Amino acid sequence: MTTERKPFFSARDITKSFSGTQALKGVDLEVYPGEIVGLVGENGAGKSTLLKIIIGAQPPTSGQMTLHGQSYQPQTPMDANANGIGMVFQEQSLIVNLNVAQNIFFGHEKEFREHGFINWGKMNKAAAEVLAHIDVTDINPRKKVADLNFATRQMIEIAKVMNVTNAQQGKNCLILLDEPTSILNEGEVQNLFKQMRRIAAQGHAVVFVSHRLDEVLEITDRIYVYKDGTSVGTLNTAEATEAKLYEMMVGRPTTTEYYHLNQQTKPEEQVELEVRDLGLHGVFKHVNFKLHKGEVLGMCGVIGSGKEEICAVLSGDELPTSGQVFLRGREVRFNSPKEALEQGVLMIPKERLYEGVVMMLSVEDNIAMSNNKQIAKGMLCSPKAVARQADHWIDRLRIKTSGRKELLMQLSGGNQQKVVFSRALASNVDVLILNHPTRGVDVGAKEEIYLLIREMVSQGKSVLLLGDTLDECIGLSNRILVMKDGEMTGEFDASVEAKPSQVDVVSLMM
Amino acid sequence: MSNTAKPLAGAGKKVRLRGHLTQYLSFSAIVLLLLGLSLTQQNFLGKMNMSNLFRDTAPLMIMAAGMTSVLLLGSIDLSTGAMCSVSNVLFVRFLSEVGVNMPIGLATLSAFALSLGFGVVAGFLMGYVHVKLKVPSFIASLGFMSVWQSAALLISERSSPVPKAVWGAIDWYKVSFGVVGLPLIIALVLVVLVFVFQARTTIGKNIYAIGGNERAARIAGVPVDSTKITVFVLNGFCAALGGIFLAAKLRSGAPTIGDAFTLMVIASCVLGGTALSGGRGSVLGTIIGVFTVALINNGMNFIGVSAYWQNVVFGLFVLGAIAISVDRSVRDLAIK
Repeated sequence: MTTERKPFFSARDITKSFSGTQALKGVDLEVYPGEIVGLVGENGAGKSTLLKIIIGAQPPTSGQMTLHGQSYQPQTPMDANANGIGMVFQEQSLIVNLNVAQNIFFGHEKEFREHGFINWGKMNKAAAEVLAHIDVTDINPRKKVADLNFATRQMIEIAKVMNVTNAQQGKNCLILLDEPTSILNEGEVQNLFKQMRRIAAQGHAVVFVSHRLDEVLEITDRIYVYKDGTSVGTLNTAEATEAKLYEMMVGRPTTTEYYHLNQQTKPEEQVELEVRDLGLHGVFKHVNFKLHKGEVLGMCGVIGSGKEEICAVLSGDELPTSGQVFLRGREVRFNSPKEALEQGVLMIPKERLYEGVVMMLSVEDNIAMSNNKQIAKGMLCSPKAVARQADHWIDRLRIKTSGRKELLMQLSGGNQQKVVFSRALASNVDVLILNHPTRGVDVGAKEEIYLLIREMVSQGKSVLLLGDTLDECIGLSNRILVMKDGEMTGEFDASVEAKPSQVDVVSLMM
Repeated sequence: MSNTAKPLAGAGKKVRLRGHLTQYLSFSAIVLLLLGLSLTQQNFLGKMNMSNLFRDTAPLMIMAAGMTSVLLLGSIDLSTGAMCSVSNVLFVRFLSEVGVNMPIGLATLSAFALSLGFGVVAGFLMGYVHVKLKVPSFIASLGFMSVWQSAALLISERSSPVPKAVWGAIDWYKVSFGVVGLPLIIALVLVVLVFVFQARTTIGKNIYAIGGNERAARIAGVPVDSTKITVFVLNGFCAALGGIFLAAKLRSGAPTIGDAFTLMVIASCVLGGTALSGGRGSVLGTIIGVFTVALINNGMNFIGVSAYWQNVVFGLFVLGAIAISVDRSVRDLAIK
């Protein structure tokens, strides 16, 4: 397919940083007319960020893009559309309280204006034509999107984007698909592939992002592999295999000292937390595992595998719809995180900014949030105890702050995370759920957090870990559970001598 | 540790600056009002007016003390004035129909218990609907406002005086030490209690955590629901006590007496530096806010602005003051 010599779209050395963390450290992408390009990489490798930059939803921090030989700098997705670039977003971007036709022509209503009013009949007819163009004939354009299932919505999104190509009159178009298949069934996936091939055959190009490597290998002509915000290579699909892609995606394993493997201990026999046939309707089901005293149990899976929701259930943030949870042999049911905390289970959440810290409160108040009742004297809290505890943890975790009264918003990300850890440690729970404990934290703080986890476990605490990277999860854990599409697909021993390779784990995740 | 928090650090300074601005705004408003009024109006600083001013601030201060905690949560209670009305007419109707046949001590106690009991129940209902049925406090309290406004009219269709026979139940209101009356002293004691509650109790700490980041507080195991309900109960109690004070002050009950207070109460809190978005402020600032509001009202009365124009002037002043002091750096201004 790549017979034409010149790429019509190229992105060179694109970087993007979000308040200090670099999501993209310099990635490249070239697209030739008539080809389907796959983008693969772990969560956080930078695929979605790059697509958002190309569609104009976010500006790049640096780097250049060219389209048809000219510099291309979209300010908004509308700009990108006008240049013949369309995208189906990972998050559904349809407006659910509008109908199908209104969604397909959202932002283009002017085309149907007659005497100041919109000719809805004309719009509905046009929408039906757009849908027929991609072989979808069973959707009524007058139907509200809210009444449609997700697979149907996905087809409408695709129709909406295809409509962009129709408007370009012969110019090469670029269609970006960010995980379009994750909610489609087999038949719908095949129909989508058919549409992709048809678009490519017309000389347009498609960029396809998917976690399912078999799909990438089936549909694409060429594959880019991204890792940690950089491009690690590109392969012609004909020469690629799943194993080869895995290897490129995960890269070299990190050195053993980084995770303080010499300090990894063996868990005790005693079961701290047990989960039997746990399920949350529509998200995960039949989950069984035991977490032992002094164990780090790693849980791996891509976004949407259900691992996040397992954390939510175990920390009391959500109620399971089936199954049982046992704590030290006794069945428990947490109606709120407060109840979980009282029983000795606490989560360090993933999104520090939104769920972890209170920015406008002081360091000491943030640390005392989970245990202010324990250190209070009756109804009144004890400022002395709060201060003593804050000083202790600031010293112990080497939190860089001008003092315990400093507002949390003045601290760096790594130090904020140490405050969150201090809070969890101060609350003295036995089971800690660490949901991406090193997310958005720089390397130095990361290592300190790893050491801290080792210490906690050696003191008999149990940890359920959702690593920020696969490498981290394998490096820190005693045992690994793998989740895929809401079910457990495997379990690995991860003792110091027998760490599984990333390729082994990834192959069960996707 | 890298300097990843630099942009946020800047935002922090901005927040503090806004905090200062709000305080200065209230202070300077008080100073300007005092200066202007005392220079142009001869008897403004006289003993008579000052004791009026100090006495009449009491109901507003009590109600604002309760509201401060609600706003700190990032919530709001628009039914405050209506709860005050119900308590007011309950108090007066009970005294005039039942209390007159009782020993005065018992009548006083029962009337207080009845009105305050209503406040506690109304506050609990509000909190329960907001927390358990997940109705935003703005809407829930708007609904309860309507309920209590009508309830007040059902209890007492029109204003009715407190019979002379039971004046013993309200005489305390006229006790005065110099220009400072007993009502203001009681109100200040209550403010101090609320301050201790906010700053020194575990529930108080939880209020700030919830107002600052409700999601984070919940995940950290803070008892969000019970804290919120407690605060609404406290607010109901304060609103009801405000209604009793108004009955004692006017020696009568009126079913619409509280209506005008809702805005004044919220304005007092905001002028006192409590953020409508929650998490920042204190009941001590509310004292300043209350005096600002009281001075504006008192000043307009003194000058002789007509009652209709007073509301126009007051409303515009509050809008202006809140627009200047509101914290626009907070992403989510919406009230929960």
